[in-house]
Amino acid sequence: MNMKIGRILFPVIALILLQASIAEARVFKIATVSPDGTFWMQEMRAGAEEIKKQTQGRVVFKFYPGGVMGNDESVLRKIRIGQLHGGAVTAGSLISIDPDIAIYELPYLFESLDQVDYVRSRMDAELIETLEKKGFVGFGLAEGGFSYMMSDDPLQSVADVRQKKVWLPSNHPVGEAVFQSADISAVPLPLSDVLTGLQTGLIDTIITSPIGAIALQWHTKISYVVDEPLTYFSALLVIDNQAFNRLTEEDREIVRSVMSNAFKRIDEQNRKDNVAAREALMNQGIKFVRLSAESANEWRQIGEKAMAMLEKQNEYTDRIYQDLMKYLEESKQASKN
Amino acid sequence: MPREHPNLYRFIIIVTLLISSGCSQLVSNAKQEFADDLSATMLEQNDPETVKQAVPAYLILISSMIKGDPDNVELLVSGSRLYGAYASVFVEDRLRQKRLSTIAFDYAHHAFCVYKPSACNIRELSYYEFEQSLKQFTKDDVQVLFALGSAWAGWLQANSADWNAVAELPRIKAIIQRVLELDPTMNNGDAYLYMAVMESFLPPAMGGKPELARKNFEQAIKISDGSNLMAKLLYAEKYARMIFDRELHDQLLTEVINANVEINESTLINSIAQHKARLLLAQSDDYF
Repeated sequence: MNMKIGRILFPVIALILLQASIAEARVFKIATVSPDGTFWMQEMRAGAEEIKKQTQGRVVFKFYPGGVMGNDESVLRKIRIGQLHGGAVTAGSLISIDPDIAIYELPYLFESLDQVDYVRSRMDAELIETLEKKGFVGFGLAEGGFSYMMSDDPLQSVADVRQKKVWLPSNHPVGEAVFQSADISAVPLPLSDVLTGLQTGLIDTIITSPIGAIALQWHTKISYVVDEPLTYFSALLVIDNQAFNRLTEEDREIVRSVMSNAFKRIDEQNRKDNVAAREALMNQGIKFVRLSAESANEWRQIGEKAMAMLEKQNEYTDRIYQDLMKYLEESKQASKN
Repeated sequence: MPREHPNLYRFIIIVTLLISSGCSQLVSNAKQEFADDLSATMLEQNDPETVKQAVPAYLILISSMIKGDPDNVELLVSGSRLYGAYASVFVEDRLRQKRLSTIAFDYAHHAFCVYKPSACNIRELSYYEFEQSLKQFTKDDVQVLFALGSAWAGWLQANSADWNAVAELPRIKAIIQRVLELDPTMNNGDAYLYMAVMESFLPPAMGGKPELARKNFEQAIKISDGSNLMAKLLYAEKYARMIFDRELHDQLLTEVINANVEINESTLINSIAQHKARLLLAQSDDYF
């Protein structure tokens, strides 16, 4: 008898719970290191408003900007324990969860933004799908741009860099692989300590994008940029799959559509910003120095060594790695024609 | 990464609104008394809209006076302050903000060049040389130095989507830092307030030092004896929000809302601060 009641009651209770969860507003707690007021935050907040409107208040976002929930690693940890539901993080920070999403960060991979565009237009969608299978819904990659080595001295050869106090970002497998391959003993520091590190002379050489150098106010301590893209980085908004799947199909579509559009705008804007920031660095008297053919070749060999190391470490999906190489080669051929 | 610079907000130069010394230069010395009365009347206004409507006529007036006396440092500094404050506080349209804040900067920069011709090219120097160049200034120079720093900050605020402008932020900080070294209590703690806002731009995760921001805000409040409600408002908006301290945020805003705004020449600024405090407090639930 009891079992029978249980059999009847259980679906009823489940149905009530389901309805309750649908009726209640679903609040997504999202953290990022990006400060409030930035273009990123403005776009995400505008997206959140639009979603709230379109879902009639069923889906609400609460943002924790400016790193108040810690760096990307802390944010991902807090998502794992359920304290947060998502974050706007760098693709590189997801490498231990899904190496493929960070595959564009392989060192010395791209030589130009044309190559980036060629490859990304063919691979981004697949990378986002793969990430979803690993537990995170993504809404498109937003370009962070090329990062360059910047220093108070004009650097050319690997030997030049060995003489410098080079910053190694904490938990940065790409940086570790490059410096290890080049036999450079770098100074590991979290992002939060770089400005002080430059001011106190603990470090004198950094790797960042033109936007990063200016926004983080590091540019006052550098005089030269090695004009050779070292790595291409990107960032994205991710939401924990389980939390996302609690939404109705209709609401999921709304969130996907609105946030993907927001990230497309961020992606496009960041491209423009890096071009402008590069010019601004030049206007500040910072010199962009091309590598000699010999030095370029030396660094390329370091890049290949580091890439092999990363490929071994990270277990990229074979097909994705091969696709990447194939499209890259195609893009190089296309630019020659 | 940011398009609008993380850290540039509307109220950065509000504190210089209609500084009495500025308005006192509006008219010739023979009418000094009138100028002082005019300035005091504006600053004592508890209806910001009235001042908003009135100021443009005086902008034209001061420009025409500068045209007739283009190397008058005091007049240029006054003009810079008036244009800068008006653009920052009352103008919503980005293009107009850019235009007016550029005039403010040009006046301040020209004043600087007339006052210290050897340092006129300061903007073209490398950052290191720029920092070194600031060492030649002494306590006697702070008004001109501060006029340049504050007008530059206002110009940057209006041009925060331009990376060339954002790249100059450390220079503005260096100027204000030098002013603080020379005369920390000048203009009722205004230099501290500028520094506090600029120190709030970068959150700690990106290398910012909120402790410095906090100390500067507290100094600004202390020097003004707590009567500068704009300092408390900015403390809540820039600092408490950045470090996600709701208790401090709500407490500061509540203090501003409950304060008596009518304190002589702080009335106008305090009225604006109080209005803004109500808006910010109403958003508290959404933000935190």
